[in-house]
Amino acid sequence: MAGFLISGVSKIYGGATPTESLQNINLTIQDGEFLSILGPSGCGKSTLLEILAGLQLPTLGEVSFDGRKLKGPGIERGVVFQDPSLYPWRTVFKNVELGLELRGVERKERREAVQRYLDLVGLSGFEHKYPHQLSGGMKQRAGLARALANSPEVLLMDEPFGAVDHLTRLQLQDDLLKIWEADKKTIVFVTHDVSEAVFLGDRVVLLSPRPGRINRIFEVPKPRPRKRDDLGLLQIQNEIYAALLEVKSAESLEFTI
Amino acid sequence: MDQNIGQKRYKWRIITGQVILLLACLGIIEYLVRSGIVGSLYLSKPTQVVEEIYKLFADGDIFHHLFVTLKEFAAGYLLSAFAGIATGMVLVLVPHAETFFRPYLSALMAIPKVTIIPLLMLWLGIGLSHKVAIVFLFCFFTIAFNTITGIKQTAEAHLKVARVFEASKLQTVVKVILPSAAPTIFVSLRVSAATGLVGALFGEMVASKDGLGNLLVQSTSLYDTAKAFAIITIVTVVSVLIIAGIDLLEKRIVLRWKSSS
Repeated sequence: MAGFLISGVSKIYGGATPTESLQNINLTIQDGEFLSILGPSGCGKSTLLEILAGLQLPTLGEVSFDGRKLKGPGIERGVVFQDPSLYPWRTVFKNVELGLELRGVERKERREAVQRYLDLVGLSGFEHKYPHQLSGGMKQRAGLARALANSPEVLLMDEPFGAVDHLTRLQLQDDLLKIWEADKKTIVFVTHDVSEAVFLGDRVVLLSPRPGRINRIFEVPKPRPRKRDDLGLLQIQNEIYAALLEVKSAESLEFTI
Repeated sequence: MDQNIGQKRYKWRIITGQVILLLACLGIIEYLVRSGIVGSLYLSKPTQVVEEIYKLFADGDIFHHLFVTLKEFAAGYLLSAFAGIATGMVLVLVPHAETFFRPYLSALMAIPKVTIIPLLMLWLGIGLSHKVAIVFLFCFFTIAFNTITGIKQTAEAHLKVARVFEASKLQTVVKVILPSAAPTIFVSLRVSAATGLVGALFGEMVASKDGLGNLLVQSTSLYDTAKAFAIITIVTVVSVLIIAGIDLLEKRIVLRWKSSS
């Protein structure tokens, strides 16, 4: 089973005043599942994603992927970053090629794969542009293609559409779903946007802040393609808003500001 | 369109004005020397300087001196570029190395380089190696320190991408860290090109058998002011050409991907 098993994960950042970023997270992520992780800022959702990516290690507890305990990053887990973090000195083509190049894949094979994924994310024609010549949405597409080009089993996405305008964002969501439906990779999608989390996910994990804990897990049993104005989806959104309100009122004033 | 034409016209007006000012200055100098208000020992007529430049190239002697100076500069400069970038990389990439060696490096950098030129003469003689060492000392520290600064500017996010793709240490250095540091390193390469040439010329002026600096000292000690001005002009042109060459290299390597309007 190529899913994640997260058991008893806590993350504490040391220093003069140690802060607990995550507290006792227990979660199973199924193979092929589209899981949204939702939460307000400061709830440790990016930390959780980085732990899944192997970029950080949990202070307590452990995470296993495909039955093996995680010890660091691995090419079977692709990451799409919040700021797409393209290398400005490489063209779009060379950025997407990066993972394959680092693995020493043969040139011809590399080219074919890069072109295939650029076409898939709708960036054909922009191969020789530099990142500074792209719009925010196109940069995110390039970041997605870069992760996909390495054929990972899982995509870990950290608020990937947070910085683009609303209409572009809706388009990117549709395109991401299309790509996901084509080969059903497991996707873990971190966001702070309730409608995005519900529209995309099979399940939505709601985190509470300081320290980050699992508040509730919402099932979204609607079949795809989903409509954005589907009453069932809106109802789940409303439940999540209600749960968020509880989280807020339980927290200090500082959080509401 | 209209604005474009307006801008072009503006640009031409400025250039015309600049040329007129330059010619006027040269004309005034020509007049001052010709009329005897300023003695020809102190200044020389621009027309005579041009004549001297022609003469220097005509009897071909200048080529030898030019070659000597350029050879000293090129050897010292390339050596310092490689050593400076390598030192900077080692200091940042080897844990604790920078903290340990920084005081030594700063102290060495603080020594006014001109003060050790006589000592270098004692150690290396007055030939090529003497000048190469001077050029090296003039350039090395700037390049090393800029390399350190450049490497430290590598974005954390870019390193994360490399980690996610399981890049090796070497791959991370070559494909992430060096490209990130390149713009900062180039700044130091441009600055040290100018100071490096100064180092070569100064070394020649202090102690040498040939080279443009040597030629300059010879002409001034013979009170040949026109020749001195001719050599200064040639040296300036060489300096401008070297910097233009580095700018071209920078454009090809770095500026291609930098956002510019």
